[in-house]
Amino acid sequence: MKDPGEAKADRESEPPPLTLEEERRAASGRLPGNRYVRIIRPAAGDFRRSRGHYVATERSLVPESRFGRTYQRLRRFFLGKRLGMEEEAERRVSKLTGLAVLAPSNVSSSAYATEEMLRVVALAGVAALTLAMPIAFAIVAVLAIIVVSEMRVISLYPGGGGSYIVARDNVGIFPGLVAAAALLVDYVLTVAVSTAAGVIAISSVVPELGDARVGLGIAMIVLLVLGHLRGIREAGLVFAVPTYSYIAAVGLLIAYGTYRIATGDVPAPVLPRDEAEVTGVTTVTALLLLRAFAAGAVAITGTEAVANVVQGFKAPEKRNAMLTLLLMAGTLATLFVGLTFLATRIGIVPDAGEIESVNSMIARSVFGDASLPYFAIQLTTAIFLLVAANTGFSGFPRLAAVLANDRFMPRQFAYQGDRLSNSFGIVALALVAGSILAMFGGSVNALVPLYTIAVFLSFFLSQAGLLRRWLRLREARWWLWAAVNTVGAGIMAGLVVTIAITRLFEGAWLVLVLLPLIVLMLYGINRHYVAVHDALTLTDLDRPLPEPTPPAVIVPIARLDRSALQAIAFARSISPHVRAVHVATTPQSAEEFKRRWARWAGRVPLDIIESPYRSLVEPLLRYIDRVNERDPRPLTIVLAEFVPRHWWEFVLHSQTAFRLKASLLFRPDTVVINVPYHFRDTADVAGDAATPRTEDPG
Amino acid sequence: MQVKLVLAPLAGTAVDPDVVRVATTLAKAWKAQVLLIHVIEVRWNMPLDAVLEADTERGEVILDEATRLAEQAGVQVESELVQAREASAAIIDTARDRGADLIVLGMPYRRRLGRTYVGKTIQSVYVGAHCAVLAYRQEETR
Repeated sequence: MKDPGEAKADRESEPPPLTLEEERRAASGRLPGNRYVRIIRPAAGDFRRSRGHYVATERSLVPESRFGRTYQRLRRFFLGKRLGMEEEAERRVSKLTGLAVLAPSNVSSSAYATEEMLRVVALAGVAALTLAMPIAFAIVAVLAIIVVSEMRVISLYPGGGGSYIVARDNVGIFPGLVAAAALLVDYVLTVAVSTAAGVIAISSVVPELGDARVGLGIAMIVLLVLGHLRGIREAGLVFAVPTYSYIAAVGLLIAYGTYRIATGDVPAPVLPRDEAEVTGVTTVTALLLLRAFAAGAVAITGTEAVANVVQGFKAPEKRNAMLTLLLMAGTLATLFVGLTFLATRIGIVPDAGEIESVNSMIARSVFGDASLPYFAIQLTTAIFLLVAANTGFSGFPRLAAVLANDRFMPRQFAYQGDRLSNSFGIVALALVAGSILAMFGGSVNALVPLYTIAVFLSFFLSQAGLLRRWLRLREARWWLWAAVNTVGAGIMAGLVVTIAITRLFEGAWLVLVLLPLIVLMLYGINRHYVAVHDALTLTDLDRPLPEPTPPAVIVPIARLDRSALQAIAFARSISPHVRAVHVATTPQSAEEFKRRWARWAGRVPLDIIESPYRSLVEPLLRYIDRVNERDPRPLTIVLAEFVPRHWWEFVLHSQTAFRLKASLLFRPDTVVINVPYHFRDTADVAGDAATPRTEDPG
Repeated sequence: MQVKLVLAPLAGTAVDPDVVRVATTLAKAWKAQVLLIHVIEVRWNMPLDAVLEADTERGEVILDEATRLAEQAGVQVESELVQAREASAAIIDTARDRGADLIVLGMPYRRRLGRTYVGKTIQSVYVGAHCAVLAYRQEETR
């Protein structure tokens, strides 16, 4: 039995407990009987306890290095302070802020929908331009069907996900993924089309900027990324001004233009800056009308945005989302019909060179060239179109997060950043949209077929999903909803087919190729996650820890130095079966190493490999393979890694350990352990002198 | 007056942010350090070192929030959680043990029987502390 002194010494030599648990130390006060207990919290400031576990505080996120702190300060400056999970409810948006974030894509299509429609109609000559008005009314009727259906989606699927969830739940995984792929493409193109259209609105006023439209578009995307990384609420507040300014400015244009027409003072049409003569190259046919309808139906795009982000609204979420959707669609219908009315009554002919927009020509006709209202309209349109990509930035990351939670997209997409925004999705969207914008040279006309086909496909799947639901569940008034969705699905299918056929070679082919690829990718990701889940999931929690067997350990040694000794000592602590291996490039160095090793008192078996071709890593890898073939035990490689004081000193060392580690990363049944040796000042290391040496330690 | 350590006891009341602000302003001027302390009062029917889960967690939240404020003000700050039978005795003893030069006390604005009420902790620290004591009373609530 140990004596008390020995036991005390044992206690004192025990390492401190491996925990952050607080310690209570009693202390005596100044007055007799006054005692108090100090609660020593080893992690005070970095962690606090809550309901029996630790909660990391904001202070624990402060980096220790100067570079890290500077980077953090920059992040805070651009993105704002970090937000905790408890602040999520406060970050939700009201109807008006929601409208500012979600409406831009939908409402902004009024800036180019009329033009797209007129471009097709103009193929039958100037006289055919009057056909635009009935087509516009037909598009508004389809918009009404879509809005009514989307309101049902909001009500039935308040968790968000829109067409993807509707199609997945009612039709099946595959249609759900097609809808998801279409929505993802839609959001990417929302960003690309909106920024391209915004830049065209600028070049309408300043034609010299027409050549720099790709660069301008990408710069705008970067600004939007910064806005959205700050959070949806901030983005809404920042972008509310452009949204409402555009609505007010175009509303004023329509009101004044209509007033002039009503009073008989019909404005004279201005000519496009690029005066290409409009001659009828075809006659008015059903196909032409269908094409014009399909082109103008770009106005419907963006309607899907609200159903995707219902949870982003303040409570009552469903009601607020529905009201926002109604407000948005009402605004769009008014602006679209109003602008088409003015264009047809005034007799505006679209600019063949796409330098000046139809809306710009309407405004010039109504208010006059170089008038203040004209510039105000152009400015608000340009800014609004530039921020119209907002919708893509609020929708894509949320949909990607829903897909990531369903294991169809990488988990990173579900991660919420410092500001509770899905940062990964935002950055990914910006990268893809920016690349597409550059690929198409910033041309809206080239991008619209890509854009619309994806949206209409997602609408079709959503309509089909709802139809299937009504037929399956036969809830109250199912027949009415089924009729609405049958019509909706039919029109959407017609639009998809029309665009796919008529604009196949103008870019629609890309979407038709992309969609199956995206669906395959989503499936592939899901298959991987399911396989990983099956391989890792613990089904039996009563299973004890597996009995450990000491591994066979190989320690590659470059030199017999302090870092090597540290690595060998560690290897010996985990297994008695340790073998060192050294690669020498010349017979002399092999002999020299053998002599030094023999003098060393460590007594660890050593193998020396002479590598006359001077390659270090490959012979080592082959040696490990051969040893492992003979010894079936799990193999552990212990690497001595020299860590210099500064990051830039890394380039002064060959970092063989790092290369070896990278080579062993995917080797099965191999554990690689790094034993870092941190470089310290030589002052406290015996035997080191200030004289320059010729040996390289790494 | 040479002040190196300012002790600021915090009770988790509305006056806490003001106490931290006063303590950090003074500490900054004197280039002193701030010690934030929260005392958990243990009832007599329990052992003094009893583990009071909820009170400890509340104390940590109070101290974390105050630490964050003090750090934002740019002073060197430390925090301490203490259990005692009476808060005043623990504050006085901690001030003495840690060599505090000034204690900044916060008084929430309260009235009893038509008069401004000063709690017994404030009074006891005022009377018993070895160092200078500054009491900050919250402004009258309207």
